[in-house]
Amino acid sequence: MQSRGGLLVFLWRRNGIIQKCFHHHHHYPLSSTTPKSSCFSSCNNLFNLRSYSTSGAAEMNPQLSNDLIKIMENRLSAIEHRNIYLQNFMNQPEASPSEYSRANKELRKIRSSMELITQLRAKQKEIDGLKSLIAECPEDKDMHDMAVEELDEAIEEENRIHNLLLKSLLPKDDADERDCILEVRAGTGGEEASLFAMEIFRMYERYSHKQGWKFEVVDVMESDLKGFKEASGAISGSGSFGRLKFESGTHRVQRVPLTEKAGRVHTSAVTVAILPQADEVDVQLRNEDLKIDTYRSGGSGGQHANTTNSAVRMTHIPTGLTVAIQDERSQHMNKAKALKVICAKLYELERSRLHTSRSKLRSEQIGSGDRSGRIRTYNFPQGRVTDHRVGITHHSIDDVMQGENLDVFIDALLLKQEMDAIASFGVDE
Amino acid sequence: MILNFFPCLIRYSIFTPLPLFFKHQNLLPLSCSINFIKPISSSSSISAKTIQVPLFLKPPIYSTTILELKKFQNWAKSLSLSIGLKFLNLDNGPESNLLCRELNWLLEDVVEGEEDNPTGFLTLGCSENERLVRMRVEMEELYDLWKQRIEERRPFQYIVGCEHWRDLVLSVQEGVLIPRPETELIVDMVEELILKDKEMKQQGVWVDLGTGSGALAIGIGRLLGNEGRVIATDLSPIAASVAAFNVQRYNLQDVVEIRMGSWFEPLDEFKGKIVGLVSNPPYIPSGDIAGLQAEVVRHEPKLALDGGADGLDDLLNICKGAASFLKPGGFFIFETNGAKQSKYLVNFLNIQMEGSFQYVNSVSDFAGIHRFVTGFRK
Repeated sequence: MQSRGGLLVFLWRRNGIIQKCFHHHHHYPLSSTTPKSSCFSSCNNLFNLRSYSTSGAAEMNPQLSNDLIKIMENRLSAIEHRNIYLQNFMNQPEASPSEYSRANKELRKIRSSMELITQLRAKQKEIDGLKSLIAECPEDKDMHDMAVEELDEAIEEENRIHNLLLKSLLPKDDADERDCILEVRAGTGGEEASLFAMEIFRMYERYSHKQGWKFEVVDVMESDLKGFKEASGAISGSGSFGRLKFESGTHRVQRVPLTEKAGRVHTSAVTVAILPQADEVDVQLRNEDLKIDTYRSGGSGGQHANTTNSAVRMTHIPTGLTVAIQDERSQHMNKAKALKVICAKLYELERSRLHTSRSKLRSEQIGSGDRSGRIRTYNFPQGRVTDHRVGITHHSIDDVMQGENLDVFIDALLLKQEMDAIASFGVDE
Repeated sequence: MILNFFPCLIRYSIFTPLPLFFKHQNLLPLSCSINFIKPISSSSSISAKTIQVPLFLKPPIYSTTILELKKFQNWAKSLSLSIGLKFLNLDNGPESNLLCRELNWLLEDVVEGEEDNPTGFLTLGCSENERLVRMRVEMEELYDLWKQRIEERRPFQYIVGCEHWRDLVLSVQEGVLIPRPETELIVDMVEELILKDKEMKQQGVWVDLGTGSGALAIGIGRLLGNEGRVIATDLSPIAASVAAFNVQRYNLQDVVEIRMGSWFEPLDEFKGKIVGLVSNPPYIPSGDIAGLQAEVVRHEPKLALDGGADGLDDLLNICKGAASFLKPGGFFIFETNGAKQSKYLVNFLNIQMEGSFQYVNSVSDFAGIHRFVTGFRK
């Protein structure tokens, strides 16, 4: 128990070490048939805080380090004090309705933490009792053994509650549960980049189907060779944003393009953006902020024209954001899709504004703020895909492109996210 | 299966339905389900023969190989690309990109494919070339249809027999005006109105004059729901048949009633009782008809386009009727030819018909053209 705890602290504290750990593990064969092979499944059991919620006797919880517990204890007593303060405040008759509702809201927010803290305090009291019982009766062997056994159980339970509390105190991304919009754009590399953009787009389409999500093509701008200059899709399914959000960034491809006569390997790039979906309410969209126009060439329109072109362009006047959709067969449907994309973009704008103002410090410290850097390389001659953020290489590129083994990267990235959150826990207070 | 005995090209034969036809409920003995696949049974009434089933609703009784389809696609694509900007420069017709997009939609409608990606097999490698796919028309006819599109400028919507309009897929055929994207806005405005004012939804009948394919009547019928009532009129028997077909497809036969006749003529009993009046009447000045885009002038019904010397004949007629047929507070919205007509009509309603209407306005479409005139009966 102790040694495992020590290892954990070490890993939590140093991102560099975590990456080394992954490097180390990737020497194990990451066979394509077992996407979550040895290192990840064990890492998941050890670290993945998501699994703690399904607590049970059999489940092992990592022992948190003393430092971490100390930081957490400070936070817990702060929450307890706040709770008492708010309770007292609510009992004062002179509180104004708005103050009252604000206090009530805050109380609701800390309620689940408070329930855990109450459990924790009861357990700690029990532990103290058992400890003094053990100290008082060293001569009664049966009693002593029973108390030691109970103490072990109580300590394990305390540890479980600590873990739950840690999870509840880590910053959450409210958007994780949302549906998302996928945007793929061909970058440097001309036609070859467009072809790869199409393949990447299809990769996410297949991955979505495998996850049981709904994938709907929103708009595609084709290149001359049937590649995609730009493409966007709407993905609906529980937690799709949370799982895909780390796919945002530059994906690099290295291979001999179809268009290359001399057989040289080229490097091209496509950019991927994953935006959480939002509705008009989320982004407080007002009708008068939207301008919709058809960007067709002149003419009298109406009964004069018979056209199947029902493209619309939607502009959000305050921000100047523009989205044009043309691939649906009716204007109404083009409009609905454009609205979906505009809402997602506005929501993302607002999120990144909050993100930068809230955690400027943190992102500088742990370098999590950059979303646009080169994140992954797809090397076809060597048949490998490497994710540069977690340092994982997967050696079956075809499986990845078929949407099969993306989870190798996604799971590691989610794990890294949690580790980063733990590492910065207490820092950004 | 009567329809299958009629070669698809012979479509101009118009059977006049018995006038009785429209007075009965269950006008067409068709399946009511939206996804009905079976075409009309042989026991259909005479008028049913005038109805063409859209391609996408035909049974996939033919088959062909992926290779054959790819050949067709290549042929049709190069034919489309050869057009370039020719039609656009000639009469504001479609350019090749648009034709290529129509080609994809045609394939989507005739091939029985996966729902998510109906024409996905066309991107499969050569190894799949011999695989069979099920088709709703024969290959020969498919070639013929695309020739008609390019050589005769037959509108795409008549080729596939349907028009996607709002969230509807409406059956259309020669003799019926293809609903335009601009007209969708009328339903949006009605929606906005009835959201604000529940009485517009519950208190009285809505009317669509010159319904054509039934687009506006069905769009509004769906907004009103089961308690609503919409009467749609049209002078053309073929339009009335197609509208009835579309109403049945959306299972709205208890909400939308089709009546044959000119404008207000079949609506005598509703004088002063109509709560909402919508119309997209013919408004193109007679002199402009000959110069219209080939798809329109060669194939669409003049009856639905030609609004007389200045295009205002029917619009003025409807404005006058609105004064006596709308109940106090009743709403109207008409589509017009643009700024000139809108301005004239706003003036006419405010001045010549002084005291009848209030809040008369013109509203622009998404191209910025003053397309609609709206207002309320005083």
